[in-house]
Amino acid sequence: MRSLFISVVFALVVTAGAAVKKEAASPPPNKDVKQKPLSLVRVNVTGQPYDYFRPWQKKAPVSKRALGAVLSKGRVLVTADLVTNQNYVELERAESGEKTAANVQVIDYEANLALIEPSEKNFLDGIAPLDIAADTVVGDRLAAWQLEPTGALVATEGLVTTIQMTHYPVDVGQFLTYRISIPMQYRENSYTIPLVKNNKLAGLLLRYDPRSQLIDAIPAPIITHFLKEAEGENYRGFPAVGFSFFPTRDPQLRKFAGQTGKPGGVYVTNVEPNMPAKKAGMRVGDIIMSIGNHEIDQNGNYVDPLYGKIDFTNLISAHSYAGDVLSFQIQREGKPIEVKVTLEHRDAKDYVSPPYALDEAPKYLVLGGLIFQELSRQYLKEWGPNWQREAPQRFVYLDRFQSELFPGEHRRIVILSQVLPANNTIGYDEFSYLTVLKVNGQEIKSLNDLAAAVKQPIEGGFIKIETEEDPKQIELDAGTIAAEAPALQENYGIPSLQRLE
Amino acid sequence: MLGRGIGAGFVIDGNRIMTNAHVVSNSRYLTVERDGDPNKYPAKVLFVAHDCDLALITVDSPNFYKNMLALKFGGIPELESTVSAYGYPIGGERMSVTTGIVSRIDFQLYTHSSIDQHLAIQISAQINPGNSGGPVMQNTKVVGVAFQGYSGDVAQGVAYMVPTPVINRFLKDVSKGRYDGYVDLGITYGKLQNPAQRKFLGLKDDGRGVLVETVVAAGPCAKILRPGDVLLAIDNHPIASDGNVELEGERVEMPEVVERKFKRDSVKFEIWRDKQSTSGSVQLETVPPYLMQSHKYDVRPRYVVYGGLLFQPLSLDLLEAYQPTDLRLRHFFDFYVIDQIYLEHPDVIVLTNVLPDPINTYLAPYRGGIVDSINGKKIHTLEELSQTLAEPADRLVIDLIGDGPPLVLDPKQVEAARERIRQRYNVVREQNLQEQPAAKTPDLQTKT
Repeated sequence: MRSLFISVVFALVVTAGAAVKKEAASPPPNKDVKQKPLSLVRVNVTGQPYDYFRPWQKKAPVSKRALGAVLSKGRVLVTADLVTNQNYVELERAESGEKTAANVQVIDYEANLALIEPSEKNFLDGIAPLDIAADTVVGDRLAAWQLEPTGALVATEGLVTTIQMTHYPVDVGQFLTYRISIPMQYRENSYTIPLVKNNKLAGLLLRYDPRSQLIDAIPAPIITHFLKEAEGENYRGFPAVGFSFFPTRDPQLRKFAGQTGKPGGVYVTNVEPNMPAKKAGMRVGDIIMSIGNHEIDQNGNYVDPLYGKIDFTNLISAHSYAGDVLSFQIQREGKPIEVKVTLEHRDAKDYVSPPYALDEAPKYLVLGGLIFQELSRQYLKEWGPNWQREAPQRFVYLDRFQSELFPGEHRRIVILSQVLPANNTIGYDEFSYLTVLKVNGQEIKSLNDLAAAVKQPIEGGFIKIETEEDPKQIELDAGTIAAEAPALQENYGIPSLQRLE
Repeated sequence: MLGRGIGAGFVIDGNRIMTNAHVVSNSRYLTVERDGDPNKYPAKVLFVAHDCDLALITVDSPNFYKNMLALKFGGIPELESTVSAYGYPIGGERMSVTTGIVSRIDFQLYTHSSIDQHLAIQISAQINPGNSGGPVMQNTKVVGVAFQGYSGDVAQGVAYMVPTPVINRFLKDVSKGRYDGYVDLGITYGKLQNPAQRKFLGLKDDGRGVLVETVVAAGPCAKILRPGDVLLAIDNHPIASDGNVELEGERVEMPEVVERKFKRDSVKFEIWRDKQSTSGSVQLETVPPYLMQSHKYDVRPRYVVYGGLLFQPLSLDLLEAYQPTDLRLRHFFDFYVIDQIYLEHPDVIVLTNVLPDPINTYLAPYRGGIVDSINGKKIHTLEELSQTLAEPADRLVIDLIGDGPPLVLDPKQVEAARERIRQRYNVVREQNLQEQPAAKTPDLQTKT
């Protein structure tokens, strides 16, 4: 049972002030590196995320300083979370301090990678681009590259201890990850630290736990996948198949599934509607024996030429692209069959409660003081790192079990998130976190549904809102809402009472 | 697990000793002592009311009551008046007295059951464990029974006592020889203060009425009320739009009317439905589904052990014992009554543990799952689970709620492993389907 698992994102601790000249563990800087300009640029970003609790406005701006890895064709690679919700991105040459504005060209929130380009074409001239080192294995030593305030390189070496599948910050599926044991101290660049092997880019920092001194890094195979996909016209994102599975270690489960021959493979526990596996005819109870030429064992691992045994989902995320056709060798009630799955990327918008919504303004509608929004994990994450415990429990449940509760449905969950005290909301001001079922008798499956339904008041000029939770029904007077709308906007400083796009 | 605890109590008429339910709950051996008397007297429990944290106990030895004056009860003390609490805080041989003032009178959660809310009086006195069950006196009369406070880091010098309306109700309830407990309407309701909503419902602007929001199907009101009804009066007391009624000259919350009633008493409503006035009355009952969310005492928990798999119905005590982080379990618990989950799952049966054995060695990942069906048959109660597991079958396929894999067992293997598991884990009984009293029931025929 692979359940949605929320990984802990370690807080990034920035050590500022007097910088140490050289890390204890750092080797003497390589001569070549000294002679030619570094393949790094500083990236300065001002970000301003939307405030989901006041969806008409943004939060206070935050400035981040990071490093970018200079690649060929004048592109700079950074992590997506650095440039997410950015207002302004600037590149700065480490040795001269020269700056230029930059644009985000491609961003993949799921793989946490982004490419940026300087607006001045010649800005990166003279900087030797980094090649990608795709062959890192457990036991290799990688160097984390950071810059001193002077622009001098600080390289700290660490040992690759594990290569495995983990969850990335936005939590959509699992991706290959390098884990490196490294005694690193943070410089002023807290994001996007490149990890280098023989002067080639082997990975980018994903998260760092200063206590255990372990880095998780986005590995070269994921970076390569991202870069290759970014070459195309339209960036599609990493592919998905759309099924859940369980190991077949239990002989009783194998017997139940009718498995014949030698044990192995994973048991399919769920096939999601409208997803590639379903379209290709995969069924609950199938045992997936191999994908392509790779045999899958009873734990769900295949033998990778570089890493040895590793979770088979790596075959899909790192090695395949949307549009590829993958051959699944399946045992169904003991009989071998082949299922050819055409992979697709699953967009965040295709979920009932989207797992992330970044660089886009949240939708909302304010009606007489009632604030309506669409449920998303982005909204729930406003409750902070412990959102699963602290956010309204019904919403967390709806998000977590959305595919089970709304199989195959294209819809959103509209919520009444808060109530602004006003003349229209007298007696309603204690309501919050309600799930909207109907408005004026019409079923509500999106905020646009709601916006349309409120335009058709019921008899007597009332707007009737029905909710899943108590109070079950809320009535408003359509006439007084319209009359008092300007005062409400003025009073609470709401520039517009709705944003539906 | 064995533990010792002490509390206080006081003698009332009929050679009865009043104390808190939490003082005598789960007790295996109970003694009482008198101030200034070296003897320990074995005592027995007459009645326990877990829903209002009160109990009556008695001592057989007539010596105990010699020269003992029964205390009498007073009324509700005035705000700001001084009261004295008697008890044995932090143990000790000698009685301790502390005074405080009455600082608040309102509805409070009674933490013993952790679901019941009744009237409670807040006093500013130092009350500690050992004061529990002791009388709080004013002008030689008992005005309350000290029962709960806060741990030091929340609030200090704040304590609560069970006031005399709750005590009198308890004494009246047990006067027939049995404690039935509090009854409940089994509804939720909301204030009706919004002008547009009042107009929509066709109500006058007279500040009257509350809106019925949820009607619990297992509750007594399911027969006459439905969501969207407006309650205008209860037992001829007009209900204000903020949910208050006037009772004996005091403004109290509407449920206070029901608080004073007993099982099978009836209550009459004036109802506003579809812009027309109607009325109806119901016989009050306890609402069983709520018990799942309350602490239980003096009963052996229900369970079934099969093939080393331990199945238990979800309850507050279970949740506290296992502290599961599973979102689905928490959802089933939190929304059991309000989403009427009990209709489909009278018992929410959880696979709480796997006693390791070769036949279940791969089943640990299923822990925390909720049983949906066995061999295709929906399972609603623990009895049903027990019966279905006992039916002859070639194999057992247990489906758990959600999209996980089925749990498959071979009944022949289970049977072969039965004795081995029983012995290895010292399983005395493989199942307990009824909530049986944990100890011998006390003799209820007393001389009162």
